[in-house]
Formats: sequence, structure tokens, C-alpha cells
Amino acid sequence: MGIKIHAVSTGARYRNLSLWFALVAFLSLFFADIFLYQPDPWEEFGRIGWGMITPFWPDADELLMSALHTVSFALLGVAVSAALGVLLAIWFHWRIVRVFSAVIRSVHEIFWGLLFMQVFGLSALTGLLAITIPFAGIFAKVFSDIFHQQSSATVDTLSGSSRLSRFFYAWIPQAWPAMRSYIRYRFECALRSSAILGFIGLPTLGFHLETAFRQGDYSEAAAVFWVFLILIGTVRFWFYKKLLLAYLLGALFLLPEMPPVNASFVWQFFTQDLWPGSLLNGDIAGALRWYGNVLADEVGPALIQTIAITQAALVLSGVLALAWYPFASRWLVGRYYWLGRFKLLVLRSVPELMLAYLFMLLFGPSALPAIFALALHNGGLIAFLLANHSQDSCAQQRQDSPVGLARYFYQDLPQRYPAFLALLFYRWEVIMRESAMMGVLGIATLGFYVDSAFEEIRFDKAFFLILVAAALNVIVDSLSRRLRKAAGLKTPRM
Amino acid sequence: MTPVESMFQLTGASFSHDNEPVLHDITLAIGEGEKVALVGPSGAGKSTLLSLLWRQHPDAIALCPQDSGLVDLLSTYQNIYMGGLSRFSTFYNLINLIRPWAARREEVADLARTLGIEDKLQNSPDQLSGGQRQRVALGRALYRQQSVFMGDEPVSSLDPEQGEQLLKHVLDQHMTAVVAIHSPELALRYFDRIIALKNGRVYGDWQATEVDLSVLETVYQDA
Amino acid sequence: MKLRSLFAVAAGMLMSAAAAAETFTFTAIPDADESRLNARFGKVADYLSEQLGVEVKYIPVKSYPAAITAFRNDQVQLAWFGGLSGVQARALVDGSEAIAQGYEDQFFKTYIIAHTSTGIEASDELPEDIKGKTFTFGSKGSTSGRLMPEFFIRDTFNAAPDELFSRVGFSGDHSRTIAQVQSGVYQVGAVNYSVWDTEVEEGKIDTDKVKVVWTTPTYPDYQWTIRGDVDARYGEGFKEKVRDVLLNMKDEDLLASFPRKSFVPASNDDYAPIERTGKAIGLLD
Repeated sequence: MGIKIHAVSTGARYRNLSLWFALVAFLSLFFADIFLYQPDPWEEFGRIGWGMITPFWPDADELLMSALHTVSFALLGVAVSAALGVLLAIWFHWRIVRVFSAVIRSVHEIFWGLLFMQVFGLSALTGLLAITIPFAGIFAKVFSDIFHQQSSATVDTLSGSSRLSRFFYAWIPQAWPAMRSYIRYRFECALRSSAILGFIGLPTLGFHLETAFRQGDYSEAAAVFWVFLILIGTVRFWFYKKLLLAYLLGALFLLPEMPPVNASFVWQFFTQDLWPGSLLNGDIAGALRWYGNVLADEVGPALIQTIAITQAALVLSGVLALAWYPFASRWLVGRYYWLGRFKLLVLRSVPELMLAYLFMLLFGPSALPAIFALALHNGGLIAFLLANHSQDSCAQQRQDSPVGLARYFYQDLPQRYPAFLALLFYRWEVIMRESAMMGVLGIATLGFYVDSAFEEIRFDKAFFLILVAAALNVIVDSLSRRLRKAAGLKTPRM
Repeated sequence: MTPVESMFQLTGASFSHDNEPVLHDITLAIGEGEKVALVGPSGAGKSTLLSLLWRQHPDAIALCPQDSGLVDLLSTYQNIYMGGLSRFSTFYNLINLIRPWAARREEVADLARTLGIEDKLQNSPDQLSGGQRQRVALGRALYRQQSVFMGDEPVSSLDPEQGEQLLKHVLDQHMTAVVAIHSPELALRYFDRIIALKNGRVYGDWQATEVDLSVLETVYQDA
Repeated sequence: MKLRSLFAVAAGMLMSAAAAAETFTFTAIPDADESRLNARFGKVADYLSEQLGVEVKYIPVKSYPAAITAFRNDQVQLAWFGGLSGVQARALVDGSEAIAQGYEDQFFKTYIIAHTSTGIEASDELPEDIKGKTFTFGSKGSTSGRLMPEFFIRDTFNAAPDELFSRVGFSGDHSRTIAQVQSGVYQVGAVNYSVWDTEVEEGKIDTDKVKVVWTTPTYPDYQWTIRGDVDARYGEGFKEKVRDVLLNMKDEDLLASFPRKSFVPASNDDYAPIERTGKAIGLLD
């Protein structure tokens, strides 16, 4: 089934597509659990602000260790998942591989972490698996897209050789520059994921960040936050690719020690804990009733919230990205562009959960903080990439390009728009994944029920809800691919 | 005929691109009212020379570069209108982007009629043929409404007859013109002065009346 | 062939890891002050190690279920649980036993707190005015922050919190419940009395903005729970030894980590009321 978009001109086609999304987002606002409370946040904000400018951490060793753990998880996670991603991408023409990749990347790192924690405890393995598994699925998709963009001339000369040798002799060497730059981008994402895994107890920066924040020790939270920001902002100064092997060995050495794993528990977890009791007893009718109840009582309402928040956040991310990116492009705003870049770096580095908490202080508990947090984070991220595109295009622009606002509206914005839409569609499934995860804050998305099920030690329910979230993501992913194809959008450059 | 006052002036100018010398020791002056054709084999430095000259009076020149810089997401109308951006206020321009002003629409439609693309105003440039795109680019330059035209192979994608016709129109609309052109015949027929570039140097600088085709053809022969 | 040897190596590694697990490990649910857990509970670990004559390690966890899972998976052998999490943990591990509770835990209680702008006045009964307000519990699995207050609210009004309040949230822990009610994010909340009293004492609470409006009846709460197989692994009588060491913990600095006055003996039966309540609310099967 293909999707067709009719319109006279390319511009009109993109405009119609954008308007449809805006309309859906507007309608979503009526379904999302939005309510504006008037809390009294200023005292708390004052303390947060003061904390941000007075960072303090009592134990430097502890902070250093968790920074190193954060990097170790990210490095090893990316190395392993990139390798797996290449293998998956080679056989991406098989539907089963595509579906498998879509499923493994559709589960948020936090949920993978929560699942593996039940088996491997708070161990290095939990952290590594939580990053590696979804990242492998993402790499598979992106690498396969990159392969498809290569010219097929080299490959044609090798016809007759096996698929594997064709890939290793032609596709991969040809695609390597694009792959390398994507891996580098992904490494930054991995640093963030690795830090966020601290929220559920792994010994990374997020552990201390979440604790300090939750305790209201904002100076300590700020210390962790600045360390994290500097870590991400300076990757290119401390990451030498010649030393990659040394880094990887170092990371392996630095991983936290592994508590013993009891094989019988692993077995029990997968064969019993994840399934409802009635199913294990062979009571199919009872199991169906159980699944039916979960679907009706929890999945239904959660789906509405998750989708409504996603659509609203998606469009708001887009609006913010378009409003922000010019301020970070030297070609558009001149020499003060670094101010805009710094702002975007901060926005895309702050974990969404933390942003959501800040907004909750401002607007009270409802879907609103989640929407704003998702939009700020993703808007910042997309804006950053667009600003790079804009700046890189400078050399190809006409000498007599318009100036001021006209340069943005008549030239740069229309030129960026296809990449913008492609990036936004790419982010769609990510936003969906994140809005499901926002539930851990108490907003009734899928994550709320997953979190509750884990709290109640009902792994069967948690597992089923995670599967539903995954299915939703797979659907959005495929819808996004179809729309991108119908709109004639190319894979965006990260 | 020496111009009273030269509008463009280069004295011993050299220019390099990524450490690759493109122009060497160029000295020339172009006066107001002159129609100059730049000829020479590809890679001789014509585009670079045009770009150097453009920088001397950026605000007074209607430019039509080789890479036409059309914005594919905007309609043909908007792409032509872009030539006039500096004549109107920013606010006026932004409104125009949402809803074109009637007066401007008429002006642009007139222009499009001359160019033979009046039925394409609603389309976006990525739906047009190479020749049509070139006409849109010319339209943008004409809508600049300046007295100096600077073009880099502005009619190369058009069929010879149309190209000649449009070139004539463009030259009529501008008092001064500097145009890089690949056809010696057109250069001889429509320009007052012909400057030939070869390997980044001025190979010849003639009044059109002083040269004939056979001389110009030597420019394209291997040295 | 290769694959098989790989499995053999992996299995060997797992087994050697298990054999090396002579260390006695414990954890504590994170319910209030989570800062410098390592420093605070590290001291407790040192004390236990010294008294028990085995290496004792503390591992920090981020959530109630993480503590329960670690206990079930034998990554910790001893845990400081809340009332409900203890019941949940003991249901998962046969032979595990509650061995000691805090002196205060024999008669624990929950405060219902409200932002002063709500105008709710303190009273002996659960005030009617809390109906229709926004309300936050602590962690979803907390006894004092969720289970018992929910039980008393249902008992008083004969309705579920969802029906009673305009919005129900879970702040995650007691300190955050206080912060959220104080900043008006939620109007009313349920909080562990000991955390509240400690924070009032430390001057962390602005009592012009938030105050206690009702106190629940008492119930048993936090306790130390130990796995049933420790005697077999650490020597005969080990469980009793652990109990004695806990009951004899007199150092105020150590006790402040919990924070409790002292520890007193406890048994699984002490928590039967919690189990009944959990089942009544549907948090336990």
C-alpha cells in the first residue's frame, strides 16, 4: 500500500503534508490529558537557578568514576551495536531482518534496562545490553539507508560474487565516510543514553544527577550536569580515532564489576515471569481474558495519551527547530551564531525527563510538561542538525543572496525544508518511544503502566505493555517510511 | 572609444581557489554603457572574473550566475520575485510569501510572458526543464531592474533561436552588461567589446568591430 | 565445536563468579535522602563486616523493585525493605525471613499534607475537603507513601483515589512528595512521618506553605529481611548472628542512616496486616 500526496508543486506538497500534521497535532490537544495548574514554583526555580551557577560536588573521585562509566558503556555499546548493525543492514532486504530491527529499536533503553535488570541486576551487562540492543536496530536501519544511497557502479562490477563479499568489498568501503559520521553522531546519543540509564540505578552520571535533583541538592545536580555537558560538548577534543582500540580496552577494564548471575533465575525469568500464570497453566481462555483486561483497562487509555502527546510534541518540535536553527547558523546570523549553538547543545543534552520535571514545576502535573520537554529536546536536536546543513550550504549559495529575514524565508528555509521534514519523520518514532517513557513521571502514557507493573513485580504485565509499545513504534516507523517515500524525501544527513 | 569613467577596474588582479591559481595579473577597465562579452575555453577563469567584478558594485548588478540558485520549494513566481526583494520592505516581502501582492503578480506575469514561461508561474523549478529553469533565472535577474547585467552563460540551455532572442532582450534592458558566453557568433553579433580569457590570463581585448570569427576561434585552440 | 567451547567458557565464568560470592551483600530501598548512599551505608557495611567476620558490601539501588529483584536474584542476601516491598520480596524467595525492624516501625504512620492555599485544616478525621484536589503518593510500591494512605482513604470515603481526586500522581519518593506539595505542583500528598519530621527539624520545609492535615492510625513498616539459605552458605547460626548484630547496633551515627532509634526483633507474621491490605487494594495477588 502506497501513500500518495497530490499537489501542483513540490512546495505545495510539503505544505499540505505539514498542515495535515499540524491539524492532527491540534486535534491531539483535545485528547491529551492537558490541564494548566497554577503552582507556586518560583522558590524552587530560584534554588535551581542558584544551584546551576554554584555547582559543587563533595567527592571528585566518585564523579570522575561515574563519568568514566558513562563513557565506557557508551563506547562499548556503540562499538558492538555498530558491528551488529552492519550485519543486519546487509540482510535488510529480508523482511524478517527489517521487522526484527524495528522491534529491537522500538523499545526504549530505559525499558530494556528495566527488563535486563530483573535478570542481570545492576550489572555492566544490563547497561551494555540496554544500549546495544536498540542501537543495533537503529544502526541497521540507517546503514541500510546509507547503502541504498551509494551508486551501484562498483557493485555491478562484482556481480556473481556472494552478497557478503559484495558488501565488504564495495558497499561498505564506499559508504564508509557516511557510516563513520553517523557512528560519531550515535556515540553522542549513546553518551546520553548511558547517562540516562543511571536513572534506574546503573553507576553512570544519571545516577547522581537524578538523586541530587530529586533531593533538591541543585548545586550537586548542577555539578553532574555541567560535567555531562562538557563531556558531550568536547567529544571531538578527547576522542582520537587512532586510539579507538585503546579506548575500548580501557572501557572494558573500567566497567563496574559483575555480580553473580544465577542461571536458573535467567531461565525462570524468560520462561515464567514474563507470562501470565493462566497461560503457563495452559488455561488459554483465562490467559485471553487476562490480556483482554490489560488491553481494555490500561493499554487503551495509555495508547490515546501516548499518541496524542507524540503528535503534539512532534509538531511543536518542528516549529521550535525552524525557529531556532537560524540563530545557530553563521550564514544566517553572523558571528554570534555560537550563542545559538550553545543553547542548542544544552537543550539536546538535557535529558527529557529532567526537562519534564522542570516544566512540571511550572505548569503542574499533566501532559503539558511532557509535550514541552519532548519538543524542547527534539526541537533542539533537529535545529542543531539544520544549522549544520545551513552553514555547510554557504559555499554553494549565490553571491547575491538576499539578506536579513528575506534570506531565511526566501532562501534558506525553503532549501532546508525537505531535510527538515525528513529529520522530523526520522524523529517521529523516537518521540513516540520517549513519550511512552514519559509515563514514569506519572503522566498516563504506556510508560506509566509499565513502571507500575514493575513496581508491583508483575513482569508478565510489564512485558506485555512493552510489547504493545514496541508494536506501536513499529507501526509509526513504517508509516513514517511510507510518508517519506511518498513525499520524495531523501534520508537526512545527521 | 575610451570610456570617460570606468565602472569596473582591475589592476594586476590575481585570484586563487584552494591554492590553485585561477586568474593571473588581470588588468582591465569596463565603463558604463559598455556591453562586454567574455569568451574563452572552459576553465579559463570567466566565472571567477565575473565574481570579482560583481564584488565592485554588488547592489547595482542584476546577476545571473551559472548555477542559477533557484529555490525548488518556492513557486516560479516567487523565484522571479526574489530579484526584487531589495526594493521592498521585509514586512512587504514576508506577506508576499504567504499571499503574493496583485501588483507584483502582474509585473512578474508580464516578465514571464516575455520569457515564455507564463503558464509555469505556479509550478516549482524542480518540475521545469533545464531551459525553463534558465529562463526563470533570467527572470529573476530582469526583475532586479538594475542598469548593469552580469551573466554566466545565461542562455546556454536554450535552443539557439530563443537564446539569441532572449539575449537581445536582456541586453536591451540593461545599459551595461558583462556576459560570459560560449558562442563567438553571439559575442560578435550583440556585444561592443570582447574580452578573451585563456589559462587565467587576458588573451585578447578587442572592440567587436576589430575582430572576426577566425581570430576568436584561436582562443579555443590549444596553445 | 567452537560454539560449544564458547558456552563452556561462559558457563565456567558464571560458576566461578558464583563460587567467589563469599561476600555478604545488602541493600536498602531508596525512600528519602538518597545522597551519598555509598558513604552512609558504607559505614553500616563496615560495622556489619567487623561484627560478622565476613566481607560485607552495600550496593545502592534506585527503586523499590530494583531492591526486590536484587534480593530475589541473590545479588543481595539482606535488605532493608519497606512493609510492602518486604512482603513482596519474601513471597518471591522461599524461606526468607523478616528478622528485625526499627523501633519506630512497630507503630509507623503516614501524614497527609496539604498546601496552605487549599485552606484545608488539620483534623482528627481525614478531612472531607481533600476531595477534588490534586493528590500525590510517594513511590508506587511504598508502604507509607502509597499502600497505607490509599487504604485509609478508600476506607474513609469508600472510593478509589482516581475517583476521589482530580488527579493522582506518584512523586517517586517522600522528599519529592514534600517538595511537590510545597511548590503547589500537587495540592495534597501522603508522606512517611519520619521523613517529614526529619526535614522539619532540618529546616528544609516552609511550614507557611505546607502542613500536616491528618495522621493515619499506626501500622508496621520497614524491616530487615534475610534470605533463607544464609546459614548454609555463611555457616550455621549466621542468620541469628546477623539479627543480634542488627539489634545491638547502638551507634547513633549508623542508626541515623535509616533513620531509627534502634532495631527490635520482628517476624514475618508482624506483616500480615500489610499483606492483607496489599491484597485488598490489588497491589498483591
